[in-house]
Amino acid sequence: MPSNEVIQGLGLDDYKFGFVTDSEPVFKTRPGLDEEVVRQISARKDEPEWMLKRRLKALRIYQAKPMPQWGGDLSELEETLSRTYFYSKPQEQMERSWDDVPENIKQTFERLGIPEAERKILAGVGAQYDSEMVYHSLKEEWESKGVIFDSIEDGLKNHPELFRKHFGTVIPAADNKFAALNSAVWSGGSFVYIPPGVQLETPLQAYFRVNQERLGQFERTLIIAGEGSRAHYIEGCTAPVYSTDSFHSGVIEIVVNRDAYFRYTTIQNWSNNMYNLVTQRALVQQGAHMEWLDGNLGSKLTMKYPSCYLMGEGAHGEILSIAYAGDGQHQDTGGKVIHVAPRTTSSIVSKSISKGTGRASYRGLCKVYDGASNARSNVECDALLINETSRTDTFPYIEIDEKSATVGHEATVSKVGDEQLFYLMSRGMDEAEAMALIVRGFIEPIAKELPLEYAVELNRLIELEMEGSVG
Amino acid sequence: MTQTAVMREDVRRAIGRTAVLEEGAADPGWLNARREEAWDIYEATPLPSTRSEEWRYTDVARLLPLDELEPAAGGPARVAALPEGLRRAMAQDRESAGRIVDVDGRVVSVELDEALAAQGVVLSSLREAARAGMPEVESLLATEAVPASDGKFAALNAALWSDGVFLYVPRGVRVDRTIRLSRWISRPGTATFTRILIVAEELSRLSFVDEILSPDFSSATLVNTAVELFSRGGAQVQYVSLQRMGEGGVYLANQRTLAERDSTLDTLNVALGGSVGRVDLNARLLGPGANSDMLGLYFGDSNQHFDFNTSQDHVAPNAHSDLLYKGALDGAARGIFRGIIRVHDGAQGTDAYQTNRNLILSDEAISTSLPNLEIEADDVRCSHGATVGQLDAEALFYLMSRGLRREQAERLVVLGFLGEVLSKLPLGGVVEKVTQAIEAKLRYV
Repeated sequence: MPSNEVIQGLGLDDYKFGFVTDSEPVFKTRPGLDEEVVRQISARKDEPEWMLKRRLKALRIYQAKPMPQWGGDLSELEETLSRTYFYSKPQEQMERSWDDVPENIKQTFERLGIPEAERKILAGVGAQYDSEMVYHSLKEEWESKGVIFDSIEDGLKNHPELFRKHFGTVIPAADNKFAALNSAVWSGGSFVYIPPGVQLETPLQAYFRVNQERLGQFERTLIIAGEGSRAHYIEGCTAPVYSTDSFHSGVIEIVVNRDAYFRYTTIQNWSNNMYNLVTQRALVQQGAHMEWLDGNLGSKLTMKYPSCYLMGEGAHGEILSIAYAGDGQHQDTGGKVIHVAPRTTSSIVSKSISKGTGRASYRGLCKVYDGASNARSNVECDALLINETSRTDTFPYIEIDEKSATVGHEATVSKVGDEQLFYLMSRGMDEAEAMALIVRGFIEPIAKELPLEYAVELNRLIELEMEGSVG
Repeated sequence: MTQTAVMREDVRRAIGRTAVLEEGAADPGWLNARREEAWDIYEATPLPSTRSEEWRYTDVARLLPLDELEPAAGGPARVAALPEGLRRAMAQDRESAGRIVDVDGRVVSVELDEALAAQGVVLSSLREAARAGMPEVESLLATEAVPASDGKFAALNAALWSDGVFLYVPRGVRVDRTIRLSRWISRPGTATFTRILIVAEELSRLSFVDEILSPDFSSATLVNTAVELFSRGGAQVQYVSLQRMGEGGVYLANQRTLAERDSTLDTLNVALGGSVGRVDLNARLLGPGANSDMLGLYFGDSNQHFDFNTSQDHVAPNAHSDLLYKGALDGAARGIFRGIIRVHDGAQGTDAYQTNRNLILSDEAISTSLPNLEIEADDVRCSHGATVGQLDAEALFYLMSRGLRREQAERLVVLGFLGEVLSKLPLGGVVEKVTQAIEAKLRYV
C-alpha cells in the first residue's frame, strides 16, 4: 500500500483557480426563476418574438418536469436554484481586440494562464466571461472562407434564418429537465457555421469562466458543420471557489452534415461546489464523423453524457471520456451512441480515477434500431481506485433491435497495484513519482488525443499535486 | 371490482375458505402471522411499473392479468396419475438421491435415500416441515433470504405459498447424487406460489435441480417461486432451475443465495419455455473465501420474453463471484439481462466478474443488456463484459465447407455457444436434458 501522504498528495483537489476578480456586472436579474426573469433576459438581449415564445414554453416544460431520480444527488439543487442569478451581463459591448478588454478581466485570464499562444497562434478565441462573450476574434482568412464563429446572441441577430432552422432541433426543450431550463434562460455560448468543404487546420476555442457568485451559467452552443467540412472546437471551463453552490447547465447542439468531420473537446475544471448538468448531442449524417472528447476534472456533481445520433449510412461516432473524482466529488459521466442507419459505427472509451471520497460513475447507452444493419459498436470503461473510501460505478445500457449488429462492452476496475509501485520504486523512483507515472499511464490513451497545451496542463496538474506529497 | 379487492378475496380463499385453508388450520401460528404481515406488505406495495429501473423492460401489468388469475388449488394427486409430460421428463433423469414431485403447487410425493435420512438429511414438503416444527423453517422462511419486503411478488408469495421444498443437510454430510424437484402445472389461468428453502450446514454438500414443466396454455398462467439457499461455512451447494413451461406460462422467481465463509454456492438458471420469464437472483457473499458461480442460459423464440435481474453483493472481504449468462434469441423473442456487482465498503480483496453474451438470430429479436458495477472498496478486481452479435460467419463457413447444410451448421454454432454455460456445471443428466431441449427448439426454428 502507498503511504497516506502519497495518497493525500495524489489528488488534483487543490483548486488553483480559486480567486475572485472584482468586477461589477452591468445588469443582473434577481435570484430565482419565473416568467418575469425569462422576459427580462429576452428583452435585454433584444430578441425576436419567436425566441421569447420558445423561452416561455421551455420554462413551462421545465416547471412541469420532475427532478431526475437517477444519477447524482440533486436533493439540494432546488435550494441552490432558488438562490441562483439566472442572468448577469458584465459589459454592454462586444470587444473586438484584446487591448480593449478591461484590465481586471484581462488579469483573470492571465492568472488562469490562458496560454499566450492561444491568443496569437490559435485562430478564433471566444472567451466567455460570466454570461456573455466579451472577447471574440476570428482570423481573417477564416472570415474569407465564410466561417461563422460568433457569440450565440450574435448568431441569432446576424444569421436569423440559419439559426432558426437549426436551433432546438438536435436537443428540443422537452428532452430533459435541464435542457428545458437552458432553453428558457440560455445566455452566452457560441454559434459556429463551417461552410461545405471548408477545412480548418487550427481549432476554434472558447474559454470561459463563471465569476459572479451564485451565477448560473446557461451557455448554449449551436454548431453546423457543412458537407465535407472539417473542424475542431475546444471549450474549457474554470470557476473560482465560492462557499455557496453554483450551477451550470449547458446545451450543445451539433449538426454534422454529410461526409463532414467534427471534433468537440471539453475540459471541465469547475470548482468543487458547482453542479454541472449538461446536454451535448450531435446529429451525424451520412458518411460523417463526430468525436466528443470529454474531460471532467472539477465540479461537485457532473451529469453529462455526450451523444452521437448516427442518422446517415456509414456515420461514425466516437466518445472519449476521462473523469477524475476527488474528495466529495461525483462525476456521473459517459456517452450515448444511437445507431439509426445501416453500417454506422461507434466507439466509447471511458477512463476514470476516484480518489478520497470521490465517486466516478460511467453511465452510457448503446442503442441499435431495427434497420441499422451491420452497425458496430464497442464500449470500454476502465476505472482506477486510489483509496479505500473511493467509489466507482458502471451503468451501461445496451439495447439492440437489429440482428446484424455487433456490440461489445467491457469494463474493468482496479487499484494502483503494489507490484507496479514496487517495480517502479526498485528502479529508483520515489513513491509519489511512481504513483504519478502509473496514473499518467492510465489516462494516456485519452491525454494523447488532446491538443498539446491541454495534454500538458492535464499532466502538469497531476505532477504538481504529486510533488508536494513526498516527506 | 378493483384488483386489490379481487386479491383480497383470493387470499381469503387461499388462507380462509378453500381446501388450502382447511389445511391451514393445522399450520403453526407464526406462519399464519407471517402470511398476514406479508399480505399487508403486498397491499402496500405498488405493482412494479416500467418507470422503475429494475422493471424498465418488463411491463408486468401488461404481461400478467393478475386480477383474472385463479389461485391453483386442488387436493393431492396420486403418483400413478402423473401427467405424461412430467413422467417423460422424470424418466430422463439420472439416478437421484431424492425427489419431490409437485403438481399445481401441491407436493404429491417425497422420496429420499434411506441412508441419507439416517444421517439426518431432511427432504420434505415445506408445509409439512413447518407443521413438524423444524426450527430452521421458522427462523429462515421468508426472513433473511426472500422476505416479503423484497418486492410486490416476494410479498405475494410469502402470503400465498401453497407448498414447496424444505431440504436440510447436516454438518459434514455429503450428498453426492442430485436431489430433484419435478413440478407440473396443469390448469390454465391459475396462479401457483411455491417456496424452496435449502440449508446446507457446515462442510456439507448437495446439488438440487428444480424443474418446472407444463402443457401449452391459451391464457396467462402464473408460477411464482421464492428460492432461499443457505450455505454455511465450507459447504458446497449447487442449485439448478430448469424452466420448461409451455406457451402462456408466466414464470416469476425470486432467488437469493447466502454464502458464508469458505462455502460455495453456485446457481444455473435455464430458461427455455413459457411466454414470460423473469428471474431476480441475488447472491450475497457473506464470509471471506465464499464463492458463487452464477450461470444462466436462455433461448427464446416466437414471442418469448426473458428478463434476468441479477446482483452480486460482496459484503465480506476476499470473496469471489463469477457470472456468465448467455442467450440466443430467435423469432420476435426479447432477452433482457440486467446485472450488478456491488462491492460494499470494506469488501477488500473482492474478485467479481460478470459476462453477458447474446446471439440474435432473427430480424425481430431484441436484446438488452445492462451490466452494472458499484464499487465502494479499492482493493478489488472487477470486470464485466457484454456482447450482442450474430452467428459467427467464419464458424458457419467452416462447418458448411465440411458438408453441413446451413441450418445444420447454424444449429451447431448455437449449441456450441450455449453449451459453454452447461460445460461449467456438469451436473448429472442436466447437460443432456438441456441439450436435448435446445435441439428440440432448434428443430422448430
